[in-house]
Amino acid sequence: MMSKKNNRNKPPRLSYEKRKALYGYGFISIWLVGTISFFLVPLLTSFIWSFCDVTIDTGNTNLKWVGLNNFEHSLMVDPKYTDCLKQTLLETLWKTPLIVIFSLFIAVILNQKFKGRTFARAVFFLPVIIATGPVYAVISGDIKSTGNTEAAQFSTMFSTNMVGELLQFLGIYGLSDNMEAMISAVSDNIFSIVWASGVQILLFLAALQTIPSSAREAAQLEGATAWEYFWKITFPYVSPFILVNFIFTVIDSFTNPTNPVMKRILALRDDWQFGNISAMAWLYFGIILTAIGIVTFAANKMIYYETE
Amino acid sequence: MEEKSAKGLSREEIGYLRRKKAAKAVFPIFRFIILFGLGFVILYPLIYMISCAFRERGDMNDPTVMWIPRHFTLDVMKETLDAMGFPQTLFTTLFLNVGSSLMQVISCAVTGYGFARFKFKGQKLLFGIVIMMILVPPQVIALPLYSQFRNFGIGGFTVNLIDTALTMYLPAITANGIRAGLMILIFRQFFKGLPKEIEDAAYIDGCGAFRTFVQVMVPNASAAFLTVFLFSVVWYWNDYYVSATFFTDTRTISLMLRNLDTELKQKLFGTISAEISPREQIVWKEAGCLISITPLLILYVCLQKHFIEGIERSGIVG
Repeated sequence: MMSKKNNRNKPPRLSYEKRKALYGYGFISIWLVGTISFFLVPLLTSFIWSFCDVTIDTGNTNLKWVGLNNFEHSLMVDPKYTDCLKQTLLETLWKTPLIVIFSLFIAVILNQKFKGRTFARAVFFLPVIIATGPVYAVISGDIKSTGNTEAAQFSTMFSTNMVGELLQFLGIYGLSDNMEAMISAVSDNIFSIVWASGVQILLFLAALQTIPSSAREAAQLEGATAWEYFWKITFPYVSPFILVNFIFTVIDSFTNPTNPVMKRILALRDDWQFGNISAMAWLYFGIILTAIGIVTFAANKMIYYETE
Repeated sequence: MEEKSAKGLSREEIGYLRRKKAAKAVFPIFRFIILFGLGFVILYPLIYMISCAFRERGDMNDPTVMWIPRHFTLDVMKETLDAMGFPQTLFTTLFLNVGSSLMQVISCAVTGYGFARFKFKGQKLLFGIVIMMILVPPQVIALPLYSQFRNFGIGGFTVNLIDTALTMYLPAITANGIRAGLMILIFRQFFKGLPKEIEDAAYIDGCGAFRTFVQVMVPNASAAFLTVFLFSVVWYWNDYYVSATFFTDTRTISLMLRNLDTELKQKLFGTISAEISPREQIVWKEAGCLISITPLLILYVCLQKHFIEGIERSGIVG
């Protein structure tokens, strides 16, 4: 009793720094517990699974070490995986730069002062709240998941028919099918690009706010044209966010459940091929990580940081 | 001209001013066209949704009906609501998704604050894990997580958590739910941007760290909270991947929307194999979409102003 009281009267003599460090651990402790059990352990498990033959019976997971067999199977044997992978990579490759450029362009426009700006911003951020959900799958015409493909063309705005009709209306007949396919591809992609750039526009807009007004005034005094202003002032200031947005876009398209690789993985999940799926997921993840790593490394040399 | 030269402007300067004037006149038109066109691309599906959800299905085959339905009806909405199992579905969604998204906002705020304001050993490594959380696709860890929840516990004592709300709540409470890494990052950036003086004042007055956080920092971070809250609710509301993995028969709005076809056929025509033309089905599908996004739209419209302000002020960009 006595000793306890004594202890209480004599608080542990920790320095201010040490105490703050303890507080720090206190604040992140909840997350730390969670991240070990709901992130790191599953991550490690799936890594191990990718080298194993996994069978699951009544609550038990049986592992049999098979080395690189799963990876070999995914790349060599699986009929669809490599195709899906190619398709996804290619699409990400050409769409990501487009999305980043487009969202920067829109953000610059939305940053100007004009009537109805608030409304325009609200409209352009709208995809942020819709594009991650199943509603997007319906409105983008991807109705395959719900069982009928025919309805698709009625649901999208730029259906091939409409473009065809427009061409006929304009008196352009007999264009090669190639041309029509190209036009509809481009117009289709306007839809998907606009709908995929909500968060990016938002981030760029926030970045544009960081440009100090002194820079703007100086440019005006010197008589810079809008074009020069963009390249000499705007661009350097937002360049770190070009990288951020680039990474975000890549991750967003890679983790989207509607992309071909993800569909393949989800389909195999229903067959309980856990080992194979883990191998596929890791291969896929490895490719993203490498791509992001290379780009970050290259970009870091060109980016302008005001501080640090 | 005379006047301008009187002001002492050179030919070059006059040219510059003239070009500037012309740009000022033309640019707004150009801007309007671009914004209008692209805005239309965004709003089109919503307008189409509203137009379709209130018409009879026969109108879909009527070539004269484009936007304004000929036979206005609320039946389709009612049938869709019925097929989606309202209001039960709504309550499930509110309880599961919105509940855990709220938990996640709080836990991510606490974690983000810890990373932003305290120096401790291993901080860089731990923050690296946060970045990893953003990078790793949820699909990579979904399966092991499933088997982990299936036999949840330590040693010999395990329970099956699949189909219980805990599969959503446990990760959310511990800041490891849907896109938690991103939320931690936003909070960290934001708290880093707040002035340190207010905190130090609180410390000197003998306020504990946690109390400082709750009473001093949180009120100052309302913009960040709003932003993350909106994101969190939206991501949880729209999620069907995680809920489809951990639940066999629970019905959230997103899951119901994905299975709307079968549900509708069963409810309306008594059999799954009923044949309705895909064109006519659009009516119900769009109604389903409208139902599932209306709550989000309302939330968005209410928070929109603060949300945009919050983004401008918060150091999301830090």
